Amino acid sequence: MIPTHWFLILSAILFALGVCGVLTRKNGITIFMCIELMVNAVNLTFVAYARQFHQIHGLLFVFFVMAIAAAEAAVGLAIFISLFHHRHTIDVDEANLMRW
Amino acid sequence: MITFAIFFFFAAIAVIFAAVVVLHRNPVVGALSLVASFFALAVMYVLLEAPFLAALQVIVYAGAIMVLFLFVIMLLNLQHQEEPRTRPVQQFLGYTTSAAFGLALIYYLAKFGVTKLPEGPFVSDARTVGIRMFEAYIFPFEMVSILLLAAIVGALILSGRTGAIPPPTGENKL
Repeated sequence: MIPTHWFLILSAILFALGVCGVLTRKNGITIFMCIELMVNAVNLTFVAYARQFHQIHGLLFVFFVMAIAAAEAAVGLAIFISLFHHRHTIDVDEANLMRW
Repeated sequence: MITFAIFFFFAAIAVIFAAVVVLHRNPVVGALSLVASFFALAVMYVLLEAPFLAALQVIVYAGAIMVLFLFVIMLLNLQHQEEPRTRPVQQFLGYTTSAAFGLALIYYLAKFGVTKLPEGPFVSDARTVGIRMFEAYIFPFEMVSILLLAAIVGALILSGRTGAIPPPTGENKL
């Protein structure tokens, strides 16, 4: 049996990589993919602790997180399409106003 | 012992492809690397005795969400675009901050990680998960269905063209 904290360390590495991408990249879709990476790191933590404590609630939370990530991806990518139609770019530096 | 070899192999794959997502300048390569990273995470779920979630990870994340990303990247014709390298100080600060954050996370998780696993197998197949889902989480389940409906309507409204906008020609500026 693999100890739980190895999975936690893997999850921490993936989460830090996602934070790094969100902080340093400017392409909106790449930033969005880094957010998905962080969501997956948290999912791995949920599943690792679910096995650690023999609680199935952790797995059910992962199910809900997946559903919400799907909704988030649909709405977020629609926002990027709309932004691209208006400005012909998805550089987030170009989209720093909340209007037009 | 073979389990440890599988763990380290797929953990390395997950981390390497996640690093490619963060560092590569082409978003198509990033999206495909993210698919590979999600497959490695599905193997992690199998190692954690959650085969149902591993199947969901492959179907929902690698199958549905990443295909949506690839469709949008190709729809916007972004595959030849390079990000200009600007603001070196902010980039450096971003790298150092995230590295410090990751080291702190690893330190505390290794320090306070529980080590003793409880006895007995952890039953988490589709039957058990489904029974617990519809016993205890029926209300959140219905709320998620309403949320997904709202997301569909929101995506349709947001991505619908309003007014006459001239289509971009040739290589788009990032």
